Amino acid sequence: MTICVPLGALFSDAAAALGAAGADVEPLRNGGRRLVLRAGDGTAYITTRPSDVPTYVEAGAADLGIVGKDVLLERDPDVYELLDLGFGGCRMVYATPEGDDPTPAALEHLGAVRVATKYPEVARAHFAATGRQVEVVKVNGSVELAPLVGLAHGIVDLTATGRTLAENGLVEREEIFHSTARLIANRASYTLRLEEIDRFAARLAGDAS
Amino acid sequence: MGDVTAALPTGTRDVLPVEAAELGEIEGALCDAFASFGYRRVATPALELAGVLDRAQEGGLGAAYRLFDERGRVLALRPDLTVPAARLIATRMADHPGPVRVSYVASAFRPPTPGRAEAAEQRLAGVELVGADGPAADAEAIAVLAAGLGATGLSGFRVGLGSVELTGAVLGALALSEEAEARLRAALRARDHVTWREAASAAGVGGDAARVLAALPGMRGGAEVLEWVSAAVPDAAPAAERLRHTLELLDRHGGRDAVVIDLGVMRDWPYYSGVVIEAYAPDVGAPVAMGGRYDGLAARFGRPRPAVGVAIALEALHRGLAAQRADAEGLHDGVVLVGGMDDAVEAARATREAGIPVVALPRGSEEAEALAAAERWRFVARPDGAGYAVHDVARDERFTCQRLAEGLASRAA
Repeated sequence: MTICVPLGALFSDAAAALGAAGADVEPLRNGGRRLVLRAGDGTAYITTRPSDVPTYVEAGAADLGIVGKDVLLERDPDVYELLDLGFGGCRMVYATPEGDDPTPAALEHLGAVRVATKYPEVARAHFAATGRQVEVVKVNGSVELAPLVGLAHGIVDLTATGRTLAENGLVEREEIFHSTARLIANRASYTLRLEEIDRFAARLAGDAS
Repeated sequence: MGDVTAALPTGTRDVLPVEAAELGEIEGALCDAFASFGYRRVATPALELAGVLDRAQEGGLGAAYRLFDERGRVLALRPDLTVPAARLIATRMADHPGPVRVSYVASAFRPPTPGRAEAAEQRLAGVELVGADGPAADAEAIAVLAAGLGATGLSGFRVGLGSVELTGAVLGALALSEEAEARLRAALRARDHVTWREAASAAGVGGDAARVLAALPGMRGGAEVLEWVSAAVPDAAPAAERLRHTLELLDRHGGRDAVVIDLGVMRDWPYYSGVVIEAYAPDVGAPVAMGGRYDGLAARFGRPRPAVGVAIALEALHRGLAAQRADAEGLHDGVVLVGGMDDAVEAARATREAGIPVVALPRGSEEAEALAAAERWRFVARPDGAGYAVHDVARDERFTCQRLAEGLASRAA
């Protein structure tokens, strides 16, 4: 079985959860910078950026993957979402600079609010669902910078503790959703490796609950 | 803009001689298999009147390429083959005494979704069985599918069977609110089991029924799954019994080992009414075939008749065959059978009679994997309960089967 594990914030919790479910995670802990790792029990691990996990799993390069719900909502991949693993908790929020919220004025005078984000689909869906027009500016990092230098009125971004927002003088105005890590499965693998995946998911679920 | 001589519309591509020849062979094998069940080839136009296709389903046609004809009418490039085939059978073959058995090999066209690697043009080979109802017809359609896939040389494929009728009966029996049911259906379509379980526990039902509801999309296996559902939700028993009967008939068709009950199999298209079918092959991320029962469709074209059909995606199938060829090189299609010298002598004999070499070992032998590796045999098998646990070394996959000869034959090239 091949499992796609995200590098970054979820990595250590993901390795711990896989280990607790009985997978041989030794190579994940001591694999250094290698991107494909093979364990003694026949499990292979692919480590990628979190936003690439659904791509690998959807295409069948990995049978299973661990990924945040935020990435799933942004990408909407055609995969099975089997378990809420409980860790990696964070919130997707809309935030603007402290003081008066510039959103109502922007909507009134300009017709639309300009929002910088790494999650354009999530931002579009949120503003559409609340009946407001939005111009989404896609950025790839340091989203907090955008409203400070006049690129956007506000941002849609993920926050765990709210510290980065506060440090940059931003205030959360709206919560869009709460996100945790999920176990996802490739459609073909889910059927072809039914027994293996059901057994493994049950062990992971036992650990998660 | 630079050189445009190589440009094609998004999602389309050319097929060069080697691939075209291989696809042609696959089509030929499938058509021969379809013909052996008495399915006769038909063809429909690539362009249809959009209003006619719209009539087939409540939500309308959905994503399709549309254009105007010279009189200003809206045309659509057919986005699937089932609806045109149903139109053809209901209108041109209305007097046919039935059951009508037709097959097709043709392209369907869907505008590609941004960010997805899906092709805009999909070549499909399929069958429609119209005017025959019940498990016998369902089992035949699945048997034709399995025979077709087998005829192309594909091994290791699995066919998942769900039932829209069964899922609907469970939801109906629990008397859920409209909102709760809509939320559950949306979760099932998105294959989102996490949201399904949240919605199920929020739906406010108790007891056995609640346990079935929460577990429904993940319920997979054999007839025992169906027994569990009928015991907990009596209203779902008739639908479960039809599916169980289908399995029993498939056993007699010889395709049982490739089939698994999977109550999470669900389809976006609202015209399905009974069994739903999805087939998968190793190393292909998307289904190689899909289908199901859609009893209400023909009535929308003025000639109500029950119908079931399956369509095989030729490019996905071709990818599976190519991966299989690459994997199997250098391995012999034989099995090292633990217990083949004592406990499982009969299975060894049956497997040899099916043309697959059996290297027998005594019960409890620990040397099977090492022997298979040394002599380059593809399979290692051990008795497991009433059946056999098999390790397919070529694919590094483990599976179980009731009868060893059948389980291996469905995989061996």
